[in-house]
Amino acid sequence: MTVGKPGPSREPVVAFDEVSKVYGPVRAVDGLSLDLHHGETVAFLGPNGAGKSTSLDMLLALRKPTSGRIRVLGSDPYTSVKSGRIGAMLQSGGLMPEVTVREMVELVTTMHPRPLPVDQTLKRAGIADIADRRVDKLSGGQTQRARFALAIVGECDLIVLDEPTTAMDVESRQMFWANMHAEVAEGRTLLFATHYLEEADQAADRILVINKGRLLADGTPAEIKERAGAKRISFRLDPVDEAFLLRLPALVNLEIRRDQIHIQSSDSDRTLYALLDAGYRPREIEVSSLGLEQAFLAITAEDDKNGSDEPEMEAAR
Amino acid sequence: MTGTLALSRLEMLRVLRNKRYLIFTVGLPVVLYLALGKQTTATVYGGVAFKAFYMIAMASIGAFSGALTGNAQRISQERKDGWIRQLRITSLPASGYVVAKLVASLVTTVPSIVIVLALGHFYGGVQLAAWKWIAIGVAIWFGSMTFAALAVAIGYRFMPDTVQPMSMLIYLFMSVLGGLWFAVGGTMQKIAQVLPTYQITRIGTGVILDGTVSMTAIGVILAWLAGFIILAALSVRSTAEKI
Repeated sequence: MTVGKPGPSREPVVAFDEVSKVYGPVRAVDGLSLDLHHGETVAFLGPNGAGKSTSLDMLLALRKPTSGRIRVLGSDPYTSVKSGRIGAMLQSGGLMPEVTVREMVELVTTMHPRPLPVDQTLKRAGIADIADRRVDKLSGGQTQRARFALAIVGECDLIVLDEPTTAMDVESRQMFWANMHAEVAEGRTLLFATHYLEEADQAADRILVINKGRLLADGTPAEIKERAGAKRISFRLDPVDEAFLLRLPALVNLEIRRDQIHIQSSDSDRTLYALLDAGYRPREIEVSSLGLEQAFLAITAEDDKNGSDEPEMEAAR
Repeated sequence: MTGTLALSRLEMLRVLRNKRYLIFTVGLPVVLYLALGKQTTATVYGGVAFKAFYMIAMASIGAFSGALTGNAQRISQERKDGWIRQLRITSLPASGYVVAKLVASLVTTVPSIVIVLALGHFYGGVQLAAWKWIAIGVAIWFGSMTFAALAVAIGYRFMPDTVQPMSMLIYLFMSVLGGLWFAVGGTMQKIAQVLPTYQITRIGTGVILDGTVSMTAIGVILAWLAGFIILAALSVRSTAEKI
């Protein structure tokens, strides 16, 4: 599946080439290859333990790949991180205790090669009002915003966020994404990991679905939904001809319980017309939309079922 | 470089604001010296007057406990909380965090040493040539840095729950057997001689007694320092992927 945007001819901002990370018997990341292009907002979507954090850790030079190669902004991850070109917010990143928010932000700003004014950073992160509070006295949402402030203390080309809105209330979350869109509008590339599916749907223009360390799907939110079969068709049919049903166009998944049939389809009209054209007269027809959440679950469930087989949704088409 | 300096500065401020620092590194040695410094002026310890010996011992205790317990606990906690991780994704050089901790230790142990030595002079009545004061102060200062290296080794390797009792045990072992609480003799002294804490006070008493600095003492302290630095480097390296 191709990315909707015409890719600029320059080198990808991030390139993973057959990257694996093995911990003892566990393959946390398993032959991951992907390219991110300039100006994209990309969601890294997957269940817990899918390998999202490990991948981001390797991207940020916190861990070394067991095999494969990662290039970021034209050099290796360590060089890019140390040159301040990546602004990152880690899920597991901590804050400096026993100092005020302002002192900590000032400190990290001093470390940055292309720093921005501290007051501006505090304002953009929405923590100007708590700048004089002790870092260890902040609430969960405030802590998260302080972490975000550390990611934007200077000019950077790539922003990497690992589950950025965890522990934020709805209001903070909205404000966070409003800020984030402003950052991207200035020509930065944004990669964020999330397991909030609405978040990926709303914020990203490209979604990478990852499960068990492998890339399962790569496309726009609309394409991901389509790929998993965005519509669900249910009806009763007696007698059931399974072989025929499996050959229906646009079919992604078929479930038969006696005379009750559930079909996931990437094009419900085509599937249904083909069924009717063949002379079948199903009863109690219901067509409903699958949200991204169900699409995502369908993709990962399919992968889990296939075990180590190549997860290829199109095979059913 | 700017980043490491800025971090060092903030680390110092943190230590100076900390109550534990005020109580254990500065307060305790001062209170003990005020309480006991003059008590047994007639008795001779380690070849020098008690008031002088106790001054050296108390300054050493403050300095090395500050370098060891405070640092080990903080490093371990900051590793657990992910602050070290956070620093790794900034432009701070890889060694910046450890360097800043050592710089902050070097600076924040100065007040405790100076205050106790000043007490020794003005309250205890210890009279020494200027160079002897400086030699004693510097020996305690650098000697206690051995324990800043040990703090890095422990803090990087163990979780805060373990570090707390562990650093306390090391503190007691080094201070009691090193003869900082009371002068040691006999078999105890034979054990004490291999400890850096004992050798720090021996440099002090040697300077007071005959104006010489024991090369053996410097050798022992440097050997411990080298050992602790190796341990610290191993700890930092082996936990690199777990931070």
